[in-house]
Amino acid sequence: MAISLSKGGNVSLSKEAPGLKNIVVGLGWDPRATDGQEFDLDASVFVCGENGKVRSDADFIFYNNKTGADGSIEHMGDNRTGEGEGDDEQVKIDLSKVPAGVKKLAFAVTIHEAESRRQNFGMVSNAFMRVVNAEGDKELARYDLGEDFSLEAAVIFGEVYRHNDEWKFKAVGQGFNGGLGPLASSFGVNIG
Amino acid sequence: MTDLPIGANAPLDGPSVSVLVDLPGGAEIAVTALQIYPGGKVRGDGDMCFYGQPRISGGAVTLTQGASPRFDIDLARVPGDVEKIVLTATVEGGKTFGQLGDVSIDAGPHSLTIPVHGRSEVALILAEIYKRNGAWKIRNVGQGFNGGLAQLATHFGVEIADDDGSAAPPPSAPPSPSAPPTPAPPPSVKLSKVNLTKTEKTVSLKKADGKFGKIRVNLNWNQRVQKKSLFGMSRSAGLDLDLGAFVELSDGNRDVVQALGNSFGSFWAEPYVSLLGDDRTGAITDGEWLEINGDAWATIRRVLIYAFIYEGAPNWRETDGVVRVYVPDQPEIEVAMNEYGSNKGMCAVAELSNEGGQIKVERKVDFFGGHKDMDRAYGWGFSWKAGRK
Repeated sequence: MAISLSKGGNVSLSKEAPGLKNIVVGLGWDPRATDGQEFDLDASVFVCGENGKVRSDADFIFYNNKTGADGSIEHMGDNRTGEGEGDDEQVKIDLSKVPAGVKKLAFAVTIHEAESRRQNFGMVSNAFMRVVNAEGDKELARYDLGEDFSLEAAVIFGEVYRHNDEWKFKAVGQGFNGGLGPLASSFGVNIG
Repeated sequence: MTDLPIGANAPLDGPSVSVLVDLPGGAEIAVTALQIYPGGKVRGDGDMCFYGQPRISGGAVTLTQGASPRFDIDLARVPGDVEKIVLTATVEGGKTFGQLGDVSIDAGPHSLTIPVHGRSEVALILAEIYKRNGAWKIRNVGQGFNGGLAQLATHFGVEIADDDGSAAPPPSAPPSPSAPPTPAPPPSVKLSKVNLTKTEKTVSLKKADGKFGKIRVNLNWNQRVQKKSLFGMSRSAGLDLDLGAFVELSDGNRDVVQALGNSFGSFWAEPYVSLLGDDRTGAITDGEWLEINGDAWATIRRVLIYAFIYEGAPNWRETDGVVRVYVPDQPEIEVAMNEYGSNKGMCAVAELSNEGGQIKVERKVDFFGGHKDMDRAYGWGFSWKAGRK
């Protein structure tokens, strides 16, 4: 039985699955059933050092930069519509290969062209983030975002971070005004 | 007043909420509230609050029609397994919301605006009132469907009937010519109003016990005629349209119900037809009302509903006059009188006749110079003298 977290909660992944090595972080949401502009949601990962910022621009893993952290993190690609059951986007991580200087992986989802399409997260339903043990596909922890935000175009869903010798998962659910650009800047990425 | 843009939500305080829907002009817009259960669907006809059924769940959700329709929701009395109540609006007559104007909603301390500029939807989910962690909230949804009511209904699991009365097939299972006959479709709600026209003149209303409840007949007309008076002079009386009825009972007794001659009739006694006041000032914006005691339908043979121009030039096209007949649990019946430019002041609009206990509604829309001509044309046999009210 996976651990279900609410906003602000955290769980030790290492305790849930001793010897945990490969994980899949799945992010999902429901596509709109109504007509009008499509929603295009994108998941990104910010690989952060001790100070909570990226170590370099290469630590911003997104649809145009799908691997990072010495190859330990792989973004599985963009799902344009949110169609289908389960995860809409997935990120594979080999925890054993994540460089020692990396303290935290922040997972964010942003709405593409939210401003011109006049879209926000209040129009997206059933958003979630989950962490799955790639060995055996067992879901370790899950966070259903519910209504922890509404009018923002970007939301930090959660973090996978080091705590002493453990890997933990924290449900963040923090909305961020502006789109992917301002969000990336806040993590220290130089947006051109 | 907090403004909730599309996507925003806020908690609702108090045991009930009144939601006033401010609709743009330029087209007829029908509003509906749907009770939605887990799974995102309605369970049946009883979950739909609309013009044909303005009161559901024992009055927990009611609709009051008007220039700005209002939903009153008694949250404590909404059935416990209802997850949310969605409020929807559908444009009739082939237009889209983008061609009209913004919709706004006033829900107590919250106001919700739905900008529609450049949008193509014909049916909109305006807002939802939903339960979250045991408490009620309201959200501005502001999303909709280009396909209109049919698509909206399918989305929420409502079976709606086409104008020919057959149920629309579910999109997942299109019937193929070789397929075996499908079982009878589940009972469906007819959302479309019945418009009696030159070619579709009659409709029959059936009820097993022959009791039709309170049948309400409304005459409404466009008040703008008053503003278009010559030389910018505002005429105090403007245009006064009167609603009336000839009633014939099964024992042959006949009666006239109309404001002229102060013959307002009676709902509980013969002739079981009563006129509610007379709107001469224009203060009553929903026109004139006539009530027929449908529980006494067995004793009524026929009711001829007519309208006449009491004051003002007889120009029916200008008046945009419409008579609507509301029979409980039956589709609304509408007869428009704006298709003709007759210069005669009297219009026989429709006749309700008792055919084996059923109500047959027949469109007339015949024009006459006065009561006497109309009487003679349909063979009623009243004696007439001039009168003023």
